[in-house]
Amino acid sequence: MSPAPAAALLAALAAAALLADHLLSVAAIVVVLLVVCATGPPGRRALYLWGTLFSAFWVVVLTPLLAAEGTHYLWQGPTVPVLGPLGVTGEELSSALLAGLRLAAVGLAFAAYALLLDHDRLVQAAGFARRSALAVALATRLVPTLERDGRGLIEALRGRGVEVRGIRGRARLLSPLLAGSLERGLNLAEAMEARGYGRPGGTRAPSPRGPLDRPAFAVAAALVLLGALWL
Amino acid sequence: MAVATLASLSFAYPGGRPAVRDVSLALEPGEAVLVLGPSGSGKSTLLRALAGLVPHFHGGSFSGRVEVLGRDTRLTRPAELAGGVATLFQDPEDQVVMARVEHEVAFGLENLGVPPQEIGDRVREALDAIGVLPLAGRPTYELSSGELQRVCLAAALALRPQLLLLDEPTSQLDPEGAEAAVRLALERGVAVVVSEHRPDRLLDAVDRVLFVDGARVVLDAEPDAAREWLARERPAWVDTATARIGLDPADLVVSLEDVSFAHGSRTVVAGVDLELRRGEVVALSGPNGCGKTTLAKLAAGLLEPAKGRVVRSGRPAYLSQDPGRYLTRARADEEVALGIDGDLARARRWLADIGLAGLEERHPRDLSSGERERLALASVLAVEPDLLVLDEPTRGVDPERKAQLAERLRADARDRATLVVTHDEQFAAAVADRVVRLGDSPGDPKASHSLLLASSGGWDSR
Repeated sequence: MSPAPAAALLAALAAAALLADHLLSVAAIVVVLLVVCATGPPGRRALYLWGTLFSAFWVVVLTPLLAAEGTHYLWQGPTVPVLGPLGVTGEELSSALLAGLRLAAVGLAFAAYALLLDHDRLVQAAGFARRSALAVALATRLVPTLERDGRGLIEALRGRGVEVRGIRGRARLLSPLLAGSLERGLNLAEAMEARGYGRPGGTRAPSPRGPLDRPAFAVAAALVLLGALWL
Repeated sequence: MAVATLASLSFAYPGGRPAVRDVSLALEPGEAVLVLGPSGSGKSTLLRALAGLVPHFHGGSFSGRVEVLGRDTRLTRPAELAGGVATLFQDPEDQVVMARVEHEVAFGLENLGVPPQEIGDRVREALDAIGVLPLAGRPTYELSSGELQRVCLAAALALRPQLLLLDEPTSQLDPEGAEAAVRLALERGVAVVVSEHRPDRLLDAVDRVLFVDGARVVLDAEPDAAREWLARERPAWVDTATARIGLDPADLVVSLEDVSFAHGSRTVVAGVDLELRRGEVVALSGPNGCGKTTLAKLAAGLLEPAKGRVVRSGRPAYLSQDPGRYLTRARADEEVALGIDGDLARARRWLADIGLAGLEERHPRDLSSGERERLALASVLAVEPDLLVLDEPTRGVDPERKAQLAERLRADARDRATLVVTHDEQFAAAVADRVVRLGDSPGDPKASHSLLLASSGGWDSR
């Protein structure tokens, strides 16, 4: 399958998860996306999977404590200044699970897009808004680039006998990573200009189409409809 | 008609001193010009002026006139000059746009509006000419810096330019690769301007040599006359040999026994043996992508071998080939102090020692590229390791600085074992007691890498 219909399918799965109201339907979408992501490159998928599942987990944990919904208390806690009385109701837990699963579905759809799709071909396939498609592709590549730069910084520190430990140690690398990526962005812009980017009359290398492309677009549209009406 | 003419060009970056002063020259079709000069002398600015990036991309104060392919660069944007002019920048990682090699080469062709049915053939032809056709389907982020630079060179040649600008190609390519690139361009009738710190092999390949110093062109001569001038005025540029101190290598600092390593399914190092003793300096050489950096990291303990074993005694230190990795703190002295328990006084001594006195409080990102190289070196030397591993320490370093580095490494050699990964034959000859050449066949899991021990300063290949 070509990357454009594959991207449409992933977007449709994420949209269906956002539109669906039933916990089991969203959970099923998350499972499907997890299976898809599991086929990604082992060295790169961990960051995306952990990032997504970690965020979803905290949404599930925090939402019931902060929301005030429902009457069927499962747990009642102390009254905390500013927040008021703490408690967890069945309704809150249910909506927290739904929100967490929805976040997981969107995160996993993006992970599958970042890990499995050929972004170059997506840019080539963009019939309109090619600049935007290229900007999205470059932004997506920023994740592995930052990951590689981060590894490089840690390696250079280890090469001097400095071990980077824990979240605090890694957090200190965020500022140099950001500064480095800004510098790189400037250099890249210069190189792109020198290679004729932005000149009128550009063409595109032919991109082969797969036999499943048309059906995939149809399935994507159906998924969105399904999510909105029945799931 | 000249491919490019510069008439009294002067230029200063915004808020900076003049980077180029009163430069006039003309480039003929098919002419190869080598631009030499110390770090920060204005070589790269000259190339950027020829690409139209100065002043369009950088702004600044511009006077004089630059005409490229009959067009005034003040009135023509770099993107419009692209195709007629192609530029290979120093750092390939900062110029790659696409995620796959074949798409990267196609990127420029698409921008120029080459008919879609021609793009595939031109991509393959360019990759084949540079000898990297087997990389066509590979992701760009998996390639070594040298391989990536070759891909960028293929992308430049695919445009079939009339003027090719190469900014320090040997910072990533081996000298043979850089010379081959120039010869290939010349065979196609392309005018080539190469800025370099390593004139050795390129002096034989070019028609003309410029030497830029203090933002001015101080020499414009044919190669033979340039050689004489360099020998007289800038001897370090033609002879980097330094006096050796006779040392008897003593105790074993690191031993690699039958070591193998793979990145995923791609074997990078297979069955290598290597011993380094205190008191010796060993140069590790080999073509791009043959596993030199991986072997260096294995020796320094940054990677663990998949097979075989590494026995190390004492403290190792590793200098990465990317000085951008030594910009993690807000001040230069703090950066150096990082590896020595925050000892700022000692860090400042090291900075002074490496020629960065007065820049202690400067933010590392405000340093020039040459100063960044030295900051990185100071950060690693300050550790005072038993095993010092330097990965391409002469990248972007001019011959005078290179001679100083060789002298320093020789002077401190007795205190430690030193492994220097380098493409720079002259530097290796100046600094190393022996040269270890890693064999060809990068990434071929069936190929076993052969290690050869050559006599002092010599080079050998099997």
